[in-house]
Amino acid sequence: MFAYTVRRLAQMVVVLFGLTILIFTMLKAMPGDPAKVMAGLGARPETIAAIRLKLGLDEPIPVQYWKFVTGLLNGQLQAMTFHKSVWAVIIERLPATVELGVFALIIALLVSIPAGILSAVYRNSPLDYAVTTIALIGISVPVFWLALMLMLVFGVILKVLPVSGRGDTLWGWSFLTLDGLRHLVIPAVALASVQMALNARLTRASMLEVMRQEYVKSARAKGLREWVVMGRHAFRNAMLPVVTNVGIQVGALFAGAVLTETTTAWPGIGRLMVESIARLDQAVVFGLTLFMGTCFMVSYLVVDLLYAYIDPRITYD
Amino acid sequence: MKAALYILTLIAPGLGHMVIGRVGKGILFMTVLAGHAGTAYLAFQRGRFAWQPQPFAYKVSPTALWVSTICLLVVAAAVWVAALWDLRRSVQRQEASHVEAEGYWRLVSRRFSQDPKGLIGLAIISIVCYVAIFAPFLASTDATRMNLRAALVEPGPSHPLGTDNFGRDILDRIIFGARVDLGIGVVATVFNMMLGGLLGLVAGYYRKTPDAVIMRILEIVNAVPFLVLVLLAISLFGSSVGMMILVLGIFGLEPARIVRSEVLSVRENDYVMAARAMGAPTRRIIFRHVLPNSIASLIVVATMAIGVNIIVVAGLSFLGFGVKPPTPSWGSMLQEAQEFMRRAWWMAVFPGLSIVTTVFGFNILGDSLRDVLDPRLK
Repeated sequence: MFAYTVRRLAQMVVVLFGLTILIFTMLKAMPGDPAKVMAGLGARPETIAAIRLKLGLDEPIPVQYWKFVTGLLNGQLQAMTFHKSVWAVIIERLPATVELGVFALIIALLVSIPAGILSAVYRNSPLDYAVTTIALIGISVPVFWLALMLMLVFGVILKVLPVSGRGDTLWGWSFLTLDGLRHLVIPAVALASVQMALNARLTRASMLEVMRQEYVKSARAKGLREWVVMGRHAFRNAMLPVVTNVGIQVGALFAGAVLTETTTAWPGIGRLMVESIARLDQAVVFGLTLFMGTCFMVSYLVVDLLYAYIDPRITYD
Repeated sequence: MKAALYILTLIAPGLGHMVIGRVGKGILFMTVLAGHAGTAYLAFQRGRFAWQPQPFAYKVSPTALWVSTICLLVVAAAVWVAALWDLRRSVQRQEASHVEAEGYWRLVSRRFSQDPKGLIGLAIISIVCYVAIFAPFLASTDATRMNLRAALVEPGPSHPLGTDNFGRDILDRIIFGARVDLGIGVVATVFNMMLGGLLGLVAGYYRKTPDAVIMRILEIVNAVPFLVLVLLAISLFGSSVGMMILVLGIFGLEPARIVRSEVLSVRENDYVMAARAMGAPTRRIIFRHVLPNSIASLIVVATMAIGVNIIVVAGLSFLGFGVKPPTPSWGSMLQEAQEFMRRAWWMAVFPGLSIVTTVFGFNILGDSLRDVLDPRLK
């Protein structure tokens, strides 16, 4: 187990190194001069040159790369369009995204797991058809459009929920004020939709698979009540792939956050990403991409390790 | 007697089917032909056939009109041919005294024709493709001309789905948008399949070093949300339609993973070992034995990938990084709609519904194909 973890961590470093190269190359090859964007329209050439000097844009590319990577590691890398370090910018925006992602995940799991189980237990019933059809529609709906529709119905027509923004926050950065929660509903539901659909499908498939197993048959044969068979024997085993999937969803949630946050003006890191790409803030884009990549890979690793912990049949090495 | 059937079918496709009692198919052929005739009538009434002179303000290129015109004839001919061919098969099957052994593809097509999910998906996709191909005939304008006096008109008789802030007809823009969205989605997926499929084949078949290298590349690409990667690539290469196809095609490497795992299991089969024992070259083993046996999952993945690509294109355009105005695309229509949410709900609702319906069509078809293509099930 220990050896496996070390090997995985080593692989992660390799992948992250590859990622820095890929992203840095793309950023530097992009047309457009960040200094010009920062200086604004009609800026004098001297001003642009001064900004270029300040940002270190005239240095050789390998030197710039080195500065980006070391700057990110020791936290000194300055954002180009903020007067702060990249980390300060990310950390300022992070709570909003975490709040959104966690709530979306909770909503998704609360709805999808019961739906998937019911759909598997009552296979081929109208309920099953309803769940599978809704789940199929769910994976076909773009999150940003769903957010728009929710804003239209609940914000504009019924006027029960605020249309956009994050609302009041506690102590300046935290969440969970009443107003904050009201603002959270639309983006969280929109973001949850795809996960909800995917999870329901997965739970259903996994339940059906488990219900075919011998131990379920023998549990029934020894006369256990149906809900005991389902709850204690089938459900717990069926949850394994669902748990694994939660780890993979961290990446999907980030991707969804990019669109949902932009649509609903939610001030998280997804929106920061879009803004920074548009403003050519190479430092923030670089830091943010690596941050998302690291989060994704760490969650993947944690789930893999957790998997072995939950299911004693699985061993690595 | 048989000749009479064929003559009836030549007069009106579907008539022959009705005579021999296959009413459902007969009605299907007739409906398709009637719909197609409707398209031809629209084209004629508006003077949109390629040989007719177009007004100066009409901004659809003559080549595009030629393509639609030729397709109009091809589709009409295809209806007749399909009706005749299907009739011949039905008659033969009615006369046959013995049941023929079923090959794999025959089995698949029979199971597919009994699966309502797949048929619904196929119907949706066919209609969207049809609309895309005959967009110039079906749309009343070229979808780019502005008319500020008719801006933000509610859905009504003159504009069934309303107009946008520039007075452009929403229905027309959706019709022309189908070309852009479907085109990018389908072509990008073809690239995905070729590149991802090749990588997956190589990784799964050779294993060892190639596998390790390819898997690391996949992990690098996979570590960042797909949308973010595509956003970066689009800002790097520009957002022309061709570039979007290329970028989506190159970075959408998810098929590689699935093909790889499929190949890993296929290559362990005895027939692969037998081929190798007989001294077949690697190329032959891969293309004659491994690939055909992995094709089923490839088809399913491709179908679903088209849906994903359509959503990503819409997302990019929605963020303002994708298809640039005035070219109509469903995603950019939604972007424009955002500003007018309070005044013009129709601008946001209908393009979104088109996306959902189309992607749903691909997803439900893929779902059905997954069941149908796997002979081990049922």
